[in-house]
Amino acid sequence: MGRKRIDRREFLKMEAAAMAATVGGMPAPVAAQNLVTDRSVTALKWSKAPCRFCGTGCGVMVATKDGRVVATHGDTKAEVNRGLNCVKGYFLSKIMYGEDRLTRPLLRKKNGKYDKSGEFSEVSWDEAFDVMAEQFKRALARRGPSGVGMFGSGQWTIWEGYAANKLFKAGFRSNNIDPNARHCMASAVMGFMRTFGMDEPMGCYDDFEAADAFVLWGSNMAEMHPILWTRLTDRRLSAPHVRVAVLSTFEHRSFDLADISIVFTPQSDLALLNAIANHIITTNRVNKDFVNKHTLFKRGQTNIGYGLRPEHELEKRATGRAKAGDATDITFEDYAKFVSEYTFENASRISGVPVNQIRELAELYADPKTKVMSLWTMGFNQHTRGVWCNNLIYNIHLLTGKIAEPGNSPFSLTGQPSACGTAREVGTFSHRLPADMLVANKSHRDKAEHIWKLPEGTISPQPGYHAVLQNRMLRDGKLNAYWVQVNNNIQAGANTNEEGYPGYRNPENFIVVSEAYPTVTAQAADLVLPTAMWVEKEGSYGNAERRTHFWHQLVNAPGEARSDLWQVMEFSKRFKIEEVWPADLIAKKPEYKGKTLFDVLYRNGQVDKFPVSEMAPDFDNQESKAFGFYVQKGLFEEYAEFGRGHGHDLAPFDTYHEVRGLRWPVVNGKETLWRYREGLDPYVRAGKGVDFYGFPDGKARIFALPYEAAAESPDATYPYWLVTGRVLEHWHSGSMTRRVPELYRAFPEAVCFIHPDDAAKLGMRRGDAVKVESRRGHIISRLETRGRDRMPRGVVFVPWFDESQLINKVTLDATDPISLQTDFKKCAVRLGRA
Amino acid sequence: MTTDDARRPSFWRRFLGFAREIWGVMRRPSAIFSLGVLVLSGFVAGIIFWGGFNTALELTNTEAFCVSCHEMRDNVFQELKTTVHYTNRSGVRARCPDCHVPHNWTDKIARKMQASKEVWGKIFGTINTREKFLDHRLILAEHEWARMKANDSLECRNCHSAESMDITRQSPRAAEAHQRFLFTGEKTCIDCHKGIAHHLPDMSNVPGWQ
Amino acid sequence: MTSKLRLTIAAALMAAFSTVALAQSFSALRGSTPLNEETTPPPLTPEMNTSVREPRSYPEQPPVIPHSIEGYEVSRRANKCLSCHARTRIQESQAPMISVTHFFDRDGQTLASVSPRRYFCTECHVPQHNVRPPVENDFVDIDTLLKVKGPDSGARR
Repeated sequence: MGRKRIDRREFLKMEAAAMAATVGGMPAPVAAQNLVTDRSVTALKWSKAPCRFCGTGCGVMVATKDGRVVATHGDTKAEVNRGLNCVKGYFLSKIMYGEDRLTRPLLRKKNGKYDKSGEFSEVSWDEAFDVMAEQFKRALARRGPSGVGMFGSGQWTIWEGYAANKLFKAGFRSNNIDPNARHCMASAVMGFMRTFGMDEPMGCYDDFEAADAFVLWGSNMAEMHPILWTRLTDRRLSAPHVRVAVLSTFEHRSFDLADISIVFTPQSDLALLNAIANHIITTNRVNKDFVNKHTLFKRGQTNIGYGLRPEHELEKRATGRAKAGDATDITFEDYAKFVSEYTFENASRISGVPVNQIRELAELYADPKTKVMSLWTMGFNQHTRGVWCNNLIYNIHLLTGKIAEPGNSPFSLTGQPSACGTAREVGTFSHRLPADMLVANKSHRDKAEHIWKLPEGTISPQPGYHAVLQNRMLRDGKLNAYWVQVNNNIQAGANTNEEGYPGYRNPENFIVVSEAYPTVTAQAADLVLPTAMWVEKEGSYGNAERRTHFWHQLVNAPGEARSDLWQVMEFSKRFKIEEVWPADLIAKKPEYKGKTLFDVLYRNGQVDKFPVSEMAPDFDNQESKAFGFYVQKGLFEEYAEFGRGHGHDLAPFDTYHEVRGLRWPVVNGKETLWRYREGLDPYVRAGKGVDFYGFPDGKARIFALPYEAAAESPDATYPYWLVTGRVLEHWHSGSMTRRVPELYRAFPEAVCFIHPDDAAKLGMRRGDAVKVESRRGHIISRLETRGRDRMPRGVVFVPWFDESQLINKVTLDATDPISLQTDFKKCAVRLGRA
Repeated sequence: MTTDDARRPSFWRRFLGFAREIWGVMRRPSAIFSLGVLVLSGFVAGIIFWGGFNTALELTNTEAFCVSCHEMRDNVFQELKTTVHYTNRSGVRARCPDCHVPHNWTDKIARKMQASKEVWGKIFGTINTREKFLDHRLILAEHEWARMKANDSLECRNCHSAESMDITRQSPRAAEAHQRFLFTGEKTCIDCHKGIAHHLPDMSNVPGWQ
Repeated sequence: MTSKLRLTIAAALMAAFSTVALAQSFSALRGSTPLNEETTPPPLTPEMNTSVREPRSYPEQPPVIPHSIEGYEVSRRANKCLSCHARTRIQESQAPMISVTHFFDRDGQTLASVSPRRYFCTECHVPQHNVRPPVENDFVDIDTLLKVKGPDSGARR
């Protein structure tokens, strides 16, 4: 892919020339001795940025020289990580320099014209956008707003997600925009909304230094959130009274620190959670004052199905499917009676965990003197009852009043750098608007239309296609123009064999993928747009503790690669308002006649309010240069209007370039560390003590929810549970980390972790090629009976970072029916010699 | 219980009577068998007895016997399975007794007599849960380390003799360490190779560890 | 819909898609295996065990581990790495001592012992397998950049 730039090999040649010059008696200009000491040469430009990987949100310092990133290290001034990085973070310097960076748009062509069955050829941005606009217009004409869609990301910067959300929900009037955070955080979101009426954790990372006990529910922090793990380890080993309980369906690295190690049968966490609540009640350790003042009790709808296609047998039997999110009022006594069936013995029978271990765990919560931090990620969220799991853990913290104060903290960890900042706060989900608002709510739509200066009725009240439904609709040919940004869903989405891949390759559809590297998703696309990444653009992320942080553009992207933000805004110029809005809507705002979507959405007097002269003089900014105004600032300030004064207050734009992030709500210049507690949160009404102000009555909800079986469990034909997940050295689909040689060599290919006795039973051994097969598809991997994960009998683990082993061909696209998030942790497979 | 109590006096009387009778026979010289027959039959009985004893002893020296107790099967044996002493390049496998039972007779019997304490532990459930096992792990490990230290890691050396070691086939790190410490006799195997077949106990007070 | 009917439809659709099958090798990480097929991965490789130190790409990069750590326990109970790399152990082991930064706590205070936040070594230091990454990386380290510094050395376009 013809690019002209200095690459490693040229550098080596040049280096050799420089050496020869020195040997030949001609001193090289800057290396008069064997150590360069000239300050004007050795000085590096150091700038702050958040890490590009997980939701922890570590601060890094980035050194640039002559337009290239030459070093990175942990930012000692960053509160989150105080100078530490994990192995991925330490190699950030290399993630942009994989030799196969995409630098020009690629379009599938035959005989000089777009053809879905053609091969990729390089085209200009103009040609790319021409073809793309034509295809989007065709889809809009054919099906209306439901014919177009976008799959975005928790790795979008805040303004990228915001601009894309606006383009789809306001411009195309289609709510078919969803982030990959749907795979990741949707259950956490719905858990928060159901229990507290407001998204995101009440506590923050400072809880790590204040807690007496940590309980990991379905989280392998040692590999997935390494820096938070260092804070937890620091606390555990520095203060010997501290206890760590680790729960999972297999033993992983986090068990290395565990005082209480619990391996449970997949799905049975529901029973364990209820058993703990029952123990708190039966041993009289309910914090009655707290419960009476600050909580209500609800019985949730049961038998809610598994989010499969409606014609699936399981869905036909799910009587509560239509009202999955409903709940009715009950009393404390009703609730106590409901959980009373979850005795330790019953929970032990369901989970396979010995009674004494359940008791030990339950005591951490029940003991009023122990401050407990509960932590969870994908074990809870990627669960067909993920919202329930989230609700049930809050139950325990609410029953004991162990919440919203230092050290007492139910804490939902996030997987992506801006799952909170972009996907959740900006509301890029198919049912949401910024600041926790919903498309289905008229007053919420009114508010968004007011801020966006849109005529009433622009935003559709109908929630759009969510991530899993998008793939099904592509497959069914009902979603015909589709844009994917900052994610790799052919590798990441469940059941790609039956839904994702046939959906992308369906001849009725046109698929656009914006990517920095040639991923499998890009390969499955019809048009690939080369994309700037990380510090090649000015950006902003929001991490798991509500911390918003910014960075400047530090280097230029290679070739013709452009940021997602530029792509979205530039593409919007191709649509006249008459092409996307009906006449009666335009009639309400006649001044928009003849304008483009770019004019209406971004040149609206708000987004274009700040001149380029306000940009920091030492940094470049490609987007602002291209559009002629300070794009990021305009988008951010317009967006911030949604949350200011409503509990989501963000500081002024410029502040964030100065600080190492701030935790919202930022009121009177002060960040909020713990919400809902008087004295700590300025939004708590005076005299309330604790105020769950997400609901008008100020009360949190405690839910009666039962154990229900998984969508697919092992049987005689498919006798093993398959669990998928990540490893420390690779982030998500590995498109960045597998291009860093040190990280590649640390964990080169995916393997199938299995118990040695299960391998022996199969007549197989470590290293054998194994076919991992479900009802949907198969992959071939290598058996691993050693290594970092110790599997129980009957459970295998395959990480999904390896694009040559697409394990999501095997997984089931069952979702939580409330959050619509996929369960990647449970399906049935059989294993055999490949 | 009541039936047993009622029968006990009669049982004891009969037992004592039988014992007296045997004693009488034993102290009387044989009038029926020749000395030769007696010596020979004594010899044969001895062989059978010894063979039986040895067979029984060897039976306790099998891995199957060791892991017939869940304490061994669920803890240390599980841990062994993921190590190089269970599967490795050449397929030479260490079984429990290879490392934990001395090979020469006197040491073996001494170890077996010690093992009677382990039987006691088994009966009283000293380590019958994972938690109890972990609580005792340091003591148990220290016993084994002390024994190996005292016999110069004899059980290691039964397979890994210094004489047969070709250090050019080892990694540079291993070759160096073996030259400096093993060949000079400064250290014995167990000094460095702790925790190679099972997980480690709390090592905070173990010399050479932090 | 019966499963048989679904299968038939699926087969028909797949047949239709075969005209748009993607044969060309797009990324070296996936190789030439078409997206709708699977191939046997290469055999497992051992960890490199040369003990020869690798250069660092920049001073702040944690060194990779140039030897095998298979079976090494690093847990709440024991830290095998420190049994060679601790300050008090390096005379005997002749291994490099852990960096002084490892004694700083979160507030930058130097402790008497290794800071617990640095306890789990493999969070930052990783062994390397004997494989060649299929995609090369064009990162250029600062020394190379300084040596060849010329009027256009920074240009990437």
